[in-house]
Amino acid sequence: MTYSLSRIFPSDRRGQAELDRLLTGEHIRRDPNLDYTVGLYDSNHKLVATGSTFGNSLRCLAVDSRYQGEGLMAQVVSHLVSRQMTQGHSHLFIYTKSDKTAIFGDLGFYEIARVEGEVAFMENRRTGFADFLSGLSAQRRAGQCAALVMNCNPFTLGHRHLVEQAAAQNDWVHLFVVSEDASLFPFADRFALVKAGCAHMPNVILHETGSYMISSAVFPSYFLEDDESAIAVQARLDLQLFGSIARSLGVTRRYVGDEPFSKVTGLYNRIMADELPAAGIDCIVIPRKEQDGLAISASHVRQLIKEGPIEAIRPLVPPTTYDYFFTEAGQAVVDKIRTANNVIHY
Amino acid sequence: MKIEVAAMAGTLESSDVQITIEPAEQGLSLSISSSVLGQYGRQIKRVVLDTLEGLGVRHGRVTVVDKGALDCTIRARVTCAVYRSAGITHSIPWGEVPVNDPSR
Repeated sequence: MTYSLSRIFPSDRRGQAELDRLLTGEHIRRDPNLDYTVGLYDSNHKLVATGSTFGNSLRCLAVDSRYQGEGLMAQVVSHLVSRQMTQGHSHLFIYTKSDKTAIFGDLGFYEIARVEGEVAFMENRRTGFADFLSGLSAQRRAGQCAALVMNCNPFTLGHRHLVEQAAAQNDWVHLFVVSEDASLFPFADRFALVKAGCAHMPNVILHETGSYMISSAVFPSYFLEDDESAIAVQARLDLQLFGSIARSLGVTRRYVGDEPFSKVTGLYNRIMADELPAAGIDCIVIPRKEQDGLAISASHVRQLIKEGPIEAIRPLVPPTTYDYFFTEAGQAVVDKIRTANNVIHY
Repeated sequence: MKIEVAAMAGTLESSDVQITIEPAEQGLSLSISSSVLGQYGRQIKRVVLDTLEGLGVRHGRVTVVDKGALDCTIRARVTCAVYRSAGITHSIPWGEVPVNDPSR
């Protein structure tokens, strides 16, 4: 039997229906956000295997169970990996069911984390995560160490308040800024604003999250809307990886701001409170800083920028963030926010 | 030859090998996974390194995912990946690539 590969476009309703049937039949949940999907067809044009990509990850991989054992997954993964290379992604991740890792191990992927009975997360570099951890452990400090993971889109007085609390209560604070470029403010600018806004705290060490925390490979539903069960599984996977990161830095506390607004962050916080203590990490929730009786949030700052003059955000952000809006880069982000349909994190 | 951009050649199908080559600052690093690593791991390593040497590649990160490829296949895939990474897509001297192979 010869098989042929063909891209399945979002507009191809018949192809999409076949894809849904195949994934459902193999008990694989379909991600709502995919960049590219390919199908493998037999000589009767029947869909027998499929795979998709999102960012630098491979997802929704399935072979019809009646066709398993013919090496069809290898054909699908080969195609997706070379497609990813043409898109500029050479460090790749696979998000798959936790009992399917052996198949991808044969195709050059190595497991780095799992949520038992749910999902496993693999990468195509034998020492990718180990190298990331050893890079971090060079920044390990003695004493009581805490960590925060923040997107800072952009850095507000709320973020600064949270970091200040952590810095006052610990010897060292490892502050991770989400490096995925999926937000209105570009990563380089978010990072620079965090750095400027935390310059008065010498015990705060800045890091990038890389591909291993709140990334589009681990936690796509952080950036693009999905249902609660998907968010929950991805958040648990993210926290598995965080556990390893915390161990390599000697971190025993994670600080989070309480979350009155965003569904995804609120759920992430609840799961953190459940999961972190099991990994020997205290989850410390700090009440939001308020301004005129309203909790400060980056979503609210973006909404104010969208709706009115920049001056409106002055009481909500540090001077370093405020000044940014009068630079060329800052003006470009203002334009982007004003033309965006929705600037509130769901 | 200098590795300019990440490039790949080959597939993950049986009897083939997938070679990925990426730029690196200093020296060659080689990562091999193979279903026959115990039997042929050293041979695969030697063929890959000899081919790279023949092409004058001294710096790069090379990832080999072997599915039981013959030596000639490995040599062809490595050569192809190197030419792709150097941006050379035509007038490739197939068959004339100097290969440091002591058995010939």
